[in-house]
Amino acid sequence: MKRSVLVIGAVSLVTSGLVGGAVFAQAKKYDMVTVVKITGINWFNRMEQGVKKFATDTKMNATQTGPAQADAAQQAAIIEDLIARRPAAIAVVPFSPETLEPVLKKAMDRGIVVVTHEASNQKNTMWDVEAFDNTAFGARLMDRLSKCMGGSGKYAVFVGSLTSKTHNEWADGGINRQKAAYKGMQMVATKQETYDDADKAYERAKEILRAYPDIKGFQGSASTDVAGIGRAIEEAGLAGKTCVYGTSLPSIAGKYLDTGAVDGIGFWDPADAGYVMNKVAQMVLDGKKITNGMNLGIKGYNKVSVKGKVITGQAFVDVDKSNYKQYPF
Amino acid sequence: MSGLLGEPAAARAPSSTWRSLTRRPELVTLLLIVALSLTIGLINDRFFSVQNGVDLLRSSIRTGIFALGVLTVLAAGGIDVSFTAIGVFALYVTTKLTMSVWPDAPFALMALASLAIGLGLGLVNGLIVYRFRVPSLIVTIGTQYVYRGALLAFVGTAYITDLPRAMDAFGRATLLQTTTADGIRVSLPAAFLVLVAVALLTWYVLRRTLLGRAVYAVGGSLPIAERLGFNVGRVLLFVFGYAGLLAGLGGLVHGAMNRQANPFDLVGSELDIIAAVVLGGARVTGGTGSVPGTLLGVVLVVIINNSLILMGVPSTWQKVVIGAIILVASGIFARRSATA
Repeated sequence: MKRSVLVIGAVSLVTSGLVGGAVFAQAKKYDMVTVVKITGINWFNRMEQGVKKFATDTKMNATQTGPAQADAAQQAAIIEDLIARRPAAIAVVPFSPETLEPVLKKAMDRGIVVVTHEASNQKNTMWDVEAFDNTAFGARLMDRLSKCMGGSGKYAVFVGSLTSKTHNEWADGGINRQKAAYKGMQMVATKQETYDDADKAYERAKEILRAYPDIKGFQGSASTDVAGIGRAIEEAGLAGKTCVYGTSLPSIAGKYLDTGAVDGIGFWDPADAGYVMNKVAQMVLDGKKITNGMNLGIKGYNKVSVKGKVITGQAFVDVDKSNYKQYPF
Repeated sequence: MSGLLGEPAAARAPSSTWRSLTRRPELVTLLLIVALSLTIGLINDRFFSVQNGVDLLRSSIRTGIFALGVLTVLAAGGIDVSFTAIGVFALYVTTKLTMSVWPDAPFALMALASLAIGLGLGLVNGLIVYRFRVPSLIVTIGTQYVYRGALLAFVGTAYITDLPRAMDAFGRATLLQTTTADGIRVSLPAAFLVLVAVALLTWYVLRRTLLGRAVYAVGGSLPIAERLGFNVGRVLLFVFGYAGLLAGLGGLVHGAMNRQANPFDLVGSELDIIAAVVLGGARVTGGTGSVPGTLLGVVLVVIINNSLILMGVPSTWQKVVIGAIILVASGIFARRSATA
């Protein structure tokens, strides 16, 4: 979802960025800052709600900041400035994990607790929080697709690009689940690249419809995939005859969910991820251990699996026409 | 080199087929289209269906509008790579402005706004190229970054999926509609008329006005055009302004058809469009190119880009195949140029 996050959301409010004023941590009241990829878009506005909820729940001084533009260098500069302010913990959603390695190392060297999200390959972090296992997420989308298709028929799979790690983990998770569990279904063509572009996804979907008029299902990966597929399906008048599932957000797929051109989407809730990152940071500060199977107190993170530095939840959010309005982002 | 004022009359002694091909580059493009279509049709006979034909026309709309602007710049010996940035700028600003000021604004008004934005940004290109005598490639690479950067930094980074009503209606309006035997609805959007209108206008300006002659003259040889008394500054302002104008319109049409205004859109697709113009017979060195040729070039590129699944080409190979077809096509054109 890394790249698609860039293209979601609302107006970029160019905020002053850093939260002013150093707060001296009293006993156990920690200064904790969450640094996101970009401020002002819906996805991270939603994350901020989670951070604020954490602050209210725990009385910690937890705030969120980030660059006005999705830019690795700007994010690094913000963290650099933060280090000078010596917060107790920094929670980061890295735009580019590689770029942040030196500055995160510096933060840790100064005794600041560092927790990341969506960066399972980050070296200089204490813990990385992942909402779910990507393969399991892809398999789950396939389960829903298969149920909708009645377990039989042809389907096609789209990815943003063949080099996108997460997209391909989702796609392969789905394809492998189909091969193992839904033998009546068959995939047509190969994984199609859409370059995170709704129009490309549309063109690809149209072409699939031409080449395989009896196509019954689509699984998308980029947040824009289902929007493009949905448009092609709607235009072809096939909303009731095909099943479309994929990773996306209500703000992008909502109107196609309404018309039935898209049947369901899946994602994770950034508010919960923001909450859990801060929770993990607080536990480190309090000297508590994080262990396999632990309950972090948020739905989807009740029984996390811990491998190395990576904490993985089961925070799938399944959304369809009936409930997408509950997630306004 | 052919004559300063574009290609010389085709009638001048076409002693052989090859000779007539060298005189009429559109014919080469047409032959390529026929050959490619037959090949694809042999692999998958679904290529020759109403559905495929209509879909290809639909896909040609956006590429075609942009390409006609690029043609004008190429004809005058320049090149423009900023037009996609202009298109997305016009689209996004127009949509955002309309949504916040008057969501019920008529489409014509939105189109005017887009055209004005496109024209303005295009004129900036022309002005820099003329004033500072910088190669247009460099100028437009620079302005592409500036226009796109300014859009993302100052206007917004958010997707707009809730479009103004008139824009949404325009995107859904259809000219023709039919249903195939498989129960798939096929429709040609009303936006196709925009392409037709733009093509007629461009053809008229380039072929029937003094300004059009001046464009080819400047593209043929700048010093000679100056000596002949053509106002080079005016020509450059015109071609870049016109390319900007069409880019603004193309951006808006793209957004309406795509049913969203995405500020990250379009930029990156300029090479496809320039390839279409060159495959339509325009030379990057200027002084040549025609509207029918460009339209055929667009059709060729659209066929290449939209037939890979039909041909059963795996995703990893698609770029290789696209590149190979373009190389073969341009090779034929190079041969033509050498003998012409």
